[in-house]
Amino acid sequence: MTDRAHLAEATVVAPALLACLLACLPRGWVVAAARVGAVLVAALAVLTGGSALADPAHPHVGDWIALDAAGGLLLAVIGVVGLLAVLASPAYLDSTTSTLVTEPRRRRVFLVVLSAFWAALLGVPVAGNLGAAWLLVEATTAASALLVGFSGRPRALEAGWKYLILTSLGLGVALLGVTLLAAGVPGGGLGGLTWRALPHYAAGPATGLLAYLLLLVGLAAKIGWAPVHNWLPDAHSEAPAPVSAMLSAALLPAVLLVAWRCEQGMAPVIGGGTARGVIIGFGLASMAVSVPFLSRPQPWKRLLAYSSLEHMGVIAVGVGLGTPLALAGAAVHVVGHALAKSLGFLAVTPLLAHEPGAAAGAVTGIARTRPVLGATLGLSLGALAGLPPSPLFASELLIVAGGFAAGLPWVAAAAAVLLALAFLGLVRALLETTLGDAPQRSGARLPALRGVGTLALGTVAALLALAVASPWLPATDLVHALAKGVS
Amino acid sequence: MSHALAWLLVGLGLPVVMLQRRTLALGAVTVQALVLVGIALQGASGPAELVAAVALGARAVGLGLVFWLLTSRTRDPHPMRAGNAPLRRGGPAVALALALSWLVPAFGLESRTAERVVLALVAFGLVVAATSSATVFQVLGIVLLENGLALAALGLPGTSWLIELGAAFDLTLIALVAGVFHERIFAEFGAGDTAALVNLRD
Repeated sequence: MTDRAHLAEATVVAPALLACLLACLPRGWVVAAARVGAVLVAALAVLTGGSALADPAHPHVGDWIALDAAGGLLLAVIGVVGLLAVLASPAYLDSTTSTLVTEPRRRRVFLVVLSAFWAALLGVPVAGNLGAAWLLVEATTAASALLVGFSGRPRALEAGWKYLILTSLGLGVALLGVTLLAAGVPGGGLGGLTWRALPHYAAGPATGLLAYLLLLVGLAAKIGWAPVHNWLPDAHSEAPAPVSAMLSAALLPAVLLVAWRCEQGMAPVIGGGTARGVIIGFGLASMAVSVPFLSRPQPWKRLLAYSSLEHMGVIAVGVGLGTPLALAGAAVHVVGHALAKSLGFLAVTPLLAHEPGAAAGAVTGIARTRPVLGATLGLSLGALAGLPPSPLFASELLIVAGGFAAGLPWVAAAAAVLLALAFLGLVRALLETTLGDAPQRSGARLPALRGVGTLALGTVAALLALAVASPWLPATDLVHALAKGVS
Repeated sequence: MSHALAWLLVGLGLPVVMLQRRTLALGAVTVQALVLVGIALQGASGPAELVAAVALGARAVGLGLVFWLLTSRTRDPHPMRAGNAPLRRGGPAVALALALSWLVPAFGLESRTAERVVLALVAFGLVVAATSSATVFQVLGIVLLENGLALAALGLPGTSWLIELGAAFDLTLIALVAGVFHERIFAEFGAGDTAALVNLRD
C-alpha cells in the first residue's frame, strides 16, 4: 500500500476519531476540541487531495482505496466545506433551540453526529470498490437525516423523514444494481467489485444495462437528480445551515462521483453512448425541473436548494459529455459551486437573526439594511447564477463548448437554453434579495456576521483565482486524468 | 433453494404488504430475517461466511428489538388507516413482483427460484414503503427490500464478510434513526402517520 493510500485512510479515520473524542470529552471542552479537530481533519483532507491532484497521472487504485484526480478534488472540497460547517456550528447552536435532543446534550450530539457524517462523506470519493462506496453513501444517510431533523420542528421532522425514506429506498434499488453487477463480474462478489473490475462484466449487455440503470436511478435519488429529487428542497431548506452546506456542497457531488465512476466502468459493457446518455438525461431533466422554481420568489434556503438541483444537473451534463472541455468545466463547477453555496448557506444564521421571515418567505432589500450581509448574499447568488467573473460562468461555457466538441449539438443547445433561463431567475432573485424594497428591520448586532464577512472575502479571492485558472484547465494533465478515471 | 423455502420467504413478506397490525408485520419480517440466517449458516464453509451469517443474525435480532421497543412505546390509539384496502396493496405488490421476475433476466444466483424470491421481496418492500402512510410500515418496507438483497448476497460467489457486516450495521443505523423520527413524529402529531406530514409543498 502506498503513502497516498495511507493518507486517504487517515483522512477517513481522523473525523471518526474526532467524533469518538467529542462523545467522551467533558462538556466544556467539546466546542474547542471540535474546532481544533476540524482544522486538523481539513488539513489532512486537503493534503491528501492535493497529493492526488499534484500527480494526476499516477492514481492509487487498490481493492479498498482508490485515490485519483477526481477523488482528490472531492476530498479537498469535502475537507474545506466540513471545516466551515464545524466552525459555523456554534453560532447556529447559539441561535436556536432543539426539541430532538435535550439542552445539556445538544452541542455534543450535534458535533458528534456532524463529525460522523463528515467521516462517512470523506470515505466516499476514496472508496476503492462499489460495495464500499454504497456502504459509505448509506452511512451518510443515517447521520445526515438525524441532522436534517435536528431542530425537531414539525417541518424539519417532515423533511428528515422524507430524506431518510426516499434515499434509503433509492439506495436499496441501487444495491439491487450492485448485486446484479457482482453476480456478473468474474471472481467478483460484493467485496471484489472494484472499479477496475466493472469493465469485465460478463453476464451480457442486457443485464449490464439493467444493473447500470438500477444503480443510476438509485443513486439519482441520493444525488437529488430529477425526477427523484423530492426530498432535496425540503431537506436543504429545513436542515441547520451548516448541515445544508455539507449536503449541498459536499454530499451531492460526492455521490455524483460514484455515479460517474459507474458510468466510466460500465461504458465498455453497455456502450459509451448509452452510459453517457443516461447521465446526460438526468442532468438535463434536473436543469429543466429547477428553472420554474428558480424563477419565482422562494425562501432563501429553498432557493439555494433548487439551485443545487440545477447545479447537479450541470455537473452531470459535464461528466456525461466526457470531453476535455466538459470535464474541465465540471471540475471547476464542483469547486465553484461548493464555495458559493457554502457561503450562501452559512450566511443564513445572521440572515435569520436580521429577518426572521426569511425562513418562510422571500426576503428583499437586505443590502439596504445590512450592507455586509446583503453583499454576502449577493456574492453567493451572483456566483451561483454564473454572473461574470464567476468561475461558474467559465465552467458553464466550457461544458456547452464540450457538448459541441462531443458532436452533441442538441445537448449543448438544450443546456445553454436551460442555463440562460436559470440565470435570469437567479439574477432576478439577486436583485430582489439585495436591492429590493426593504421593510423596517432591527439594527441589533447579528450573530456570526463578522465570520461570514471574512468568509465572503476569502470566497471572493478563491472564486477569482478559480475563474482565472479555468481557461487553462482543459489542456492540463489533470483533465486527461479525469477522463481516464480509475477503471 | 427449495420451493418450500422460497414460498416460506415470500409468504413471510406478504403479511407486511397486506396487514395493518404493526406487531404481526414486525414478527413476519423478523422471522424472515432469521430464516435468512439459517440459510447463511447452512451454506457457510469458512470463517468469512460464518461472520457474514453472524452479522445477519445480529441484524435480525437488533432490528426486531428496535421495532419491538418502538411499537411498545408508541401505541396508536386505533389501528392506522392504510388508505388502501389490503387487496389494493397486495395486488400491485404481486403484480410488480411478477413483472420484475418476467423482465429481469437471469443474473447469476444459484437458481432462478432464488432470483425470483429476491425480486419478489424487493417488489414487496417498494410497494409497502410507497403505499403505507404508517411510519413503522415504511421502515419495514425498507427492511423487507434489504432482506431480499441479503438473500441475493448469500448466493453470490466470494461474498465479503466486511461488506455483509457493513450492510447489517448500516441498516440497523437507519432503523435506529427512523426510530428517533418515529417517536418525535408520534409525540408531535399523536400518531406515527406520514399523512400528517404535509407542510412542505411547492
